[in-house]
Amino acid sequence: MFRLLLTTALVTLPLVAAAQEITVGAANVAPYIDPGRDHSNVGSQFYYNTFDTLIDRDHGKLELEWVPALATSWKLVEPKVMEFKLREGVKFHNGADMTADDVVFSLNRMMQATFPPYVVRAKDRLGNFLRAEKVDDLTIRVVAEREEPLWETLMSLQQVMIVPEAYIKGLTGKADVAEDSDYEAFALAPVGTGPYKVAAFQPGEKLVWERFDDFWGETAPLERATVVQIAETASRVTALKTGEADIITNVAPDQLSLIDSDPNLKTEGSATALFHVMIMNQNHPKLRDPRIRQALSLAIDRDALNEALWLGKAIVPSTHTMAEMGALHQPDLVTFEYDPERARKLLEEAGYDGFEITFDTAATYYTNGLLAAQAIMEMWGAVGINGRVNVQDQWSGNDPEMMVRNWSNPMYFADPFGSFGVMWAPGGPSESEGRFNTDADYAKKWDRFRFSTDVADRNAAYVELMEEIKQDPPMLPLYRPFESWGMKQSVNWAPMPGHIPYVLDFRAGSISFAGN
Amino acid sequence: MTPYLLRHVLKAVVTLWAIVTVTFVATRLSGNPIDTFLGEGLTAEGRQALIDYFQLDRSLWHQYLAYLRGVLSGEFGLSFVDRRPVTTVVAERLWPSGQLLLTSVALTVAVSLPLGVLAAVYRRSWIGSAVMVVAFTGYAVPSFVLAIVMVLTFSYWLNWLPVVGNGTWLHFIMPTIAMSGGLIAALTRFTRNAMLDVLGQDFIRTARAKGLRETQVVLKHGLGNASITVISVIGLQIAGLAAAGSVVVESIFSWPGVGQMLVNAAILRDYPVLQFGVIAVAVAVVSINILTDIAYALADPRIRLARA
Repeated sequence: MFRLLLTTALVTLPLVAAAQEITVGAANVAPYIDPGRDHSNVGSQFYYNTFDTLIDRDHGKLELEWVPALATSWKLVEPKVMEFKLREGVKFHNGADMTADDVVFSLNRMMQATFPPYVVRAKDRLGNFLRAEKVDDLTIRVVAEREEPLWETLMSLQQVMIVPEAYIKGLTGKADVAEDSDYEAFALAPVGTGPYKVAAFQPGEKLVWERFDDFWGETAPLERATVVQIAETASRVTALKTGEADIITNVAPDQLSLIDSDPNLKTEGSATALFHVMIMNQNHPKLRDPRIRQALSLAIDRDALNEALWLGKAIVPSTHTMAEMGALHQPDLVTFEYDPERARKLLEEAGYDGFEITFDTAATYYTNGLLAAQAIMEMWGAVGINGRVNVQDQWSGNDPEMMVRNWSNPMYFADPFGSFGVMWAPGGPSESEGRFNTDADYAKKWDRFRFSTDVADRNAAYVELMEEIKQDPPMLPLYRPFESWGMKQSVNWAPMPGHIPYVLDFRAGSISFAGN
Repeated sequence: MTPYLLRHVLKAVVTLWAIVTVTFVATRLSGNPIDTFLGEGLTAEGRQALIDYFQLDRSLWHQYLAYLRGVLSGEFGLSFVDRRPVTTVVAERLWPSGQLLLTSVALTVAVSLPLGVLAAVYRRSWIGSAVMVVAFTGYAVPSFVLAIVMVLTFSYWLNWLPVVGNGTWLHFIMPTIAMSGGLIAALTRFTRNAMLDVLGQDFIRTARAKGLRETQVVLKHGLGNASITVISVIGLQIAGLAAAGSVVVESIFSWPGVGQMLVNAAILRDYPVLQFGVIAVAVAVVSINILTDIAYALADPRIRLARA
């Protein structure tokens, strides 16, 4: 009996040990790790395991459900002031205790940003917050400029994850001043409060997480997770086959069957909370007539693109909305349609004389981007539009000569403000690049949509904004691309509905192994 | 010997300056780092703030002169992306590339010298023809095709060899073969031709007439003299290999070397890394060429003793 136990133990021990370590083969590894300055799809893979926010959400659910994280409770003490009670006994990966000063520092480095990479990220989403203040050792307050309808949403952003003040200030130069070079150094040697500490980081190449034993929450399920860059798709799929990787990222739709046909492997995927969009320059001399742009949009059969390029797994939206947006999801609103007959009529009315319309795209930047552009040329051709694909790597969205091009509009946070709202705000990226115009009326609607504390009113304002987009279109959301991960059969992991795109969540409850 | 060396060093300096300049202009024409890695959703104002921060607002001339000044004082700048000194970024990638280069050269020499000699000695039999057919085929197959075919065969189907990184000696097998494929073909051909040249010379006939054994004639007198040509080819080919082959092969096998770094830097338009990476490769190529010239001179007394 004893021998049997011993042999069983010996046989199963290495299995358990092995299962606690995984290797992820990623198409890209971030060149730096700083949640404040980053909002890229590559970067978002890495933050949630390493850092915490004051407020978190239940990521297993599509519906918004806030859960305490580094703050245990929060309440509005004045119409524009939110007070947060901090969790006791939280430790940073370097062993230091998390204090109210760290929290105030983390928030103010964004809310009162001086480091340019922070400034640009803070302005578009955290612009309504004036400052954070310490009340006592376990209490802080955040002061907003106007009444804020999205307190929890904005306090759970990646950009306001909590970082250690003394550690950062001490990295370079004077130990009591936060210099730009401190932030630069921090991005290469990140320290947070999350369940995994970054044990090794080679920018753009490799990141190793190790379980952080002093984590305040439920212990991390993995001893160690290594993410290595395997840029080539073929090499990534092969690495999964050879067992060099347990999970691989960014599996293109045409590679899915390659993995699924292997009994030891499987794929998991979801329609990413991000739109591939087609943008149209409202100010190009030849496209000023909105009817031309309406026709460019109405001529495109997005369902056909989905079937052909994404095996029907992408999501084609009727308006700029996503299910993640909860009470602000408006699936019944129809802003974008396929109607080639109307497209033909509008072109005729506008007196379109067959001039060439260029569609800029990079060769490989967006999955299926070039193929979609080529298919769109055929669809345009069918209604009499003379289109031409212009392949170039350079971004042309700020070029007055740009007519049409592809782009993507991610959901930075689960609210229409976090997707449409950021990109198409008055004075936002699209307008300041000179291809989108807003007037006082649009600004008023946008303001109501952004700041009204009544959800119904926000929705009504959004409907009005979408009507403006429909009448004078600057863009067409094509689809939410279907993004897939390949993995061993024994790995239980899948992207969770409550995350922003591409997050590699290895926290307790998010990953486990079959058969152990 | 000294003026000979001096002339070569001078040539090398001019070459490097030309490379620095061409790289500088080419990288800046190809796109902007602000648009490539700082991503979507920047306002014009935010974009300007970043342009100022990275000092991309200066005129191209100003940037170029500032860069040249930096280069002359050994300052190559910081990576736009991770803000580390580019010298550090490149330095940590030199050894993996160097290792792969060494194994590839070793394999190339070990295979092509015997094959070349064989092809020359048996040039009229089927052995010679067979060697040359293989060599020409090797020449025609690009390294990325060879690499992908090997990955599919030995990793994807047979599951014998790993494809990611440089962790163990097993990791060296496919990248080394992929890097060496074209080289072996080239060097075999050169060795054969050099041998044919030498074997037709009078001193070979003399050697045979002295009654030396054929192996001694071929290996000592033949290969010994043919090696002069062969050395120069090895040098030049290594140089080409360092620059081109590594970019392709390192990307496919996620090899943490200079080639992979160059690809990433090009995608992100990380000018300083790209520039210094190209300079580092150029210095390697130029130094190898100089070393080749020296080796050539040492191997051939006619050059060594010539007054330049």
